[in-house]
Amino acid sequence: MELRRYIIRRLIQIAIIFYVILTVLFLLFRLAPGDPVSRMVDPTMTPEDAQRLISQLGLDQPIWVQYLYYVKNFFTGNFGHSFHYGKPVVEIIWDRLPNTVLLFTTSIILSALVGVFLGKIASWHKGKATDAVLTIGALVTHTVFLPWLALIMIWLFGYKMGWFPITGMISEEVWLDPESGIFAKALDVAHHMVLPLSTLFLIHFGAYLLIMRSSMLETLKEDYIITARAKGLSEKVIRDKHAAPNAALPVVTSVGLSLAFSINGGALTETVFTWPGIGRELVFSVSHNDYPLAQASFLLIAIVVLLANLVVDVLYAYLDPRIRY
Amino acid sequence: MKKQYGKLLVLLWAGLLAWIGILTGSARAASILKVGLLEEPKTLNVWLASDTWSRKVLGQIYQPLYVREPKELKLIPWLAESQPQYDPQKICYTVRLRKANWSDGTELTSEDVAFTGNFIKEFKVPRYYSKWRFIDRIETPDPRTVKFYLKEPRAIFLGRTLTTPIAQKKQWEKVAVQLRKAEKPIASLMKTKIEKPIGSGPFHLRQWKQGAYLYLCRNEHFFAQGKSIEGMTLGPHLDGIIFKLFGTSDAAILALKKGSIDMFWWGIQPGYLQDLKNNPNIQLFYSEKSALYYMGFNVRRPPFSDATLRRAIATLIDKDFIVNRILQGNAIKMHSIVPPGNRFWYCPDVPKYGEGLTKEERIKKAFEMLKGAGYTWEVPPLKPDGAIQPAKGIKLPDGSPMARFTILTPPADYDPNRAMAGMMIQEWLRMVGMPAFAKPMAFGSLIQQVKVRRKFDAFILGYGRLSLDPDYLRAFFHSRNNRVRGWNMSGYTNPEFDRLADLSAKAMDVQERRRLIWEMQRIIMRDVPYIPLYNPKLIEGVRKGKFEGWVQMLGGIGNVWTFCNLREK
Repeated sequence: MELRRYIIRRLIQIAIIFYVILTVLFLLFRLAPGDPVSRMVDPTMTPEDAQRLISQLGLDQPIWVQYLYYVKNFFTGNFGHSFHYGKPVVEIIWDRLPNTVLLFTTSIILSALVGVFLGKIASWHKGKATDAVLTIGALVTHTVFLPWLALIMIWLFGYKMGWFPITGMISEEVWLDPESGIFAKALDVAHHMVLPLSTLFLIHFGAYLLIMRSSMLETLKEDYIITARAKGLSEKVIRDKHAAPNAALPVVTSVGLSLAFSINGGALTETVFTWPGIGRELVFSVSHNDYPLAQASFLLIAIVVLLANLVVDVLYAYLDPRIRY
Repeated sequence: MKKQYGKLLVLLWAGLLAWIGILTGSARAASILKVGLLEEPKTLNVWLASDTWSRKVLGQIYQPLYVREPKELKLIPWLAESQPQYDPQKICYTVRLRKANWSDGTELTSEDVAFTGNFIKEFKVPRYYSKWRFIDRIETPDPRTVKFYLKEPRAIFLGRTLTTPIAQKKQWEKVAVQLRKAEKPIASLMKTKIEKPIGSGPFHLRQWKQGAYLYLCRNEHFFAQGKSIEGMTLGPHLDGIIFKLFGTSDAAILALKKGSIDMFWWGIQPGYLQDLKNNPNIQLFYSEKSALYYMGFNVRRPPFSDATLRRAIATLIDKDFIVNRILQGNAIKMHSIVPPGNRFWYCPDVPKYGEGLTKEERIKKAFEMLKGAGYTWEVPPLKPDGAIQPAKGIKLPDGSPMARFTILTPPADYDPNRAMAGMMIQEWLRMVGMPAFAKPMAFGSLIQQVKVRRKFDAFILGYGRLSLDPDYLRAFFHSRNNRVRGWNMSGYTNPEFDRLADLSAKAMDVQERRRLIWEMQRIIMRDVPYIPLYNPKLIEGVRKGKFEGWVQMLGGIGNVWTFCNLREK
């Protein structure tokens, strides 16, 4: 009952926060320098032509009128058309979103699984060579500049070794071949995914490893671990059944939020690997003042992150019986 | 159990490796050119496309009546059969069409040409309307003849109107019906999605896999196939072109070196050049561009309302340094607003401020110019014995001290060359005591400041793709365009220039127009509201050995001539 009241309270908070975000986003884009028309004009276009274009795009209306239209359109599910693509922004987002989710969700889950496992090992061997190697390795990979690592991966495995495609998500050789079946196409995507996935994995697993190691070290000091030892349980059982599940709670929060944020992709990763995801579109839409596309993308991210926060909180209560709302 | 898992893993891994082998070893049977692009085309709606990438693709699909030939850049008939016939009494041009077909096999007729013009005029299509607004009516006496009646003589008709891409009436008529019903036709046009454009060019769209590649196939109905034009037997001799996307130049250049693409259709930055020069499989093309990078002044207010001061600044700027040191030799100096590569319209005898002078000579000359105009100094840049010294406290002819002024530039992450040029110009101006400050500013803000708010002292901007028709001189400097969002950003006003510009706009005789355009360049370079700085060279890279027939012209090798002439070796 308490949980239900908590969820309702949080949903009301989320609605208020979302409305604030909706308004702030609108203002941010209008106050940002430049206007969408300046990117579409050339010296043969007269000021009258430019003004006509501005008027047709509705950008000559007073800002409060634009705001009212914006809010009305949002609540009627009309996110508008991209100024540059000339397509509904929902269509563009739905085109790109699965690509981003595929790459980033896979990388987060993989990084979290490996990070938790190695973090557990590192804490168990605290102060020994294994711990030192894993901790330093995690710190190094986690702090590497992502585009640099990505370029090194492309250069080494894509160019020098030739094992993987340099960039992109699919090969035209496979997708233009009428004989290519679904399996061949899926393998082609997997083949293209190896380099960006490896890069993201190398960058992210260290964070989970360090969180898990630190949490595990705290957990190992708990009374119930001493009790477990006193009961004569094996070290493996104590580590895997008693300590690790409790120590993994902070990782759950981190993974939950990372999964939510993964829908905005990574502009850098997607740009360097030419991965056709939403991160690249975000950068493009912001830099080209494509208001409808940028606003819709940010609103999508906002709503997913807000809901993910709620889910993580509820999940926390489920995983840890001590937590009650 | 564990052993079984192990076997399964090994099998999966082997399968993946085998697949990699299949992919990398797969041969290409057809003659397909692979072209690397840095961004995805945004649309195939020819009237919406405002980005370079869409235009590169659409340029292979939609064709105009006339095109520029690669050597002298003269307009030659393309979809048209011959040069247009002009009737000065009726202000009418008659264009006779070749026999040509659309990519769907239907005939391209005068109805399509008239429809294109009327469509642009009726819906005031942005970017095209200004080239058609002066057309009174278009008549089609027969399927191969089009008559354009102009409201008044307009010189850009030949170079701009007749080079507009022609759209198929059958495909766009339905769109026009919808637009007529729309409350906001331009906004509706911009939302019109064209998935399968029908064109008359050498290629047509086969498949667009968004985010990955765009595949154009040879258009079997292309009118010029097998014809000899400009000494080339045109094809296309290729089966198709695949445009592949790369997010960065690094990745595209690695793909070029690896052989994953045959051509990288974008300017190569100097940092990559040495590596590519040493690669035996890569051929580099250095081309001139129709571009202009310049310093502009706000001549509406002091101190830059004084032409002598602007000339002195032009003298102080060391263009050799900018070209050789900042751009590492990959640019040419500009002395006029029209790029020298645009040979017909470029006026060679404009004043060349500071040309061939040493640093000391430039300072001396600028000092003399300023001193002669009444400028004074607390500490002048020249000692009584003629030696150079750091100047201080420059005063305007009315005796007031010159106020600190800023030179707005794009930021270094947008264009390091312009940002660095701004810094260097600041230093050169300070040598004569001018309180100059270069200020990098976000590009959008810079444009707003200069075009909309118009509160600035000086700026450095550029045009990467100037039209080959020099009518932009009129756009940039006619006093009519000195207004908010107008192209006369400097606020330059000169009745004599306006008169010549208006005459040039109506001069239908090309030699007479050239005389006027040359005179306009002389006036601008005498009054220097803009100081032309440089024109960067376009460096493009292709794979050697597989294709031949690249055609280099102003603007590089990515042109319709190349794609019609290129063939497998």
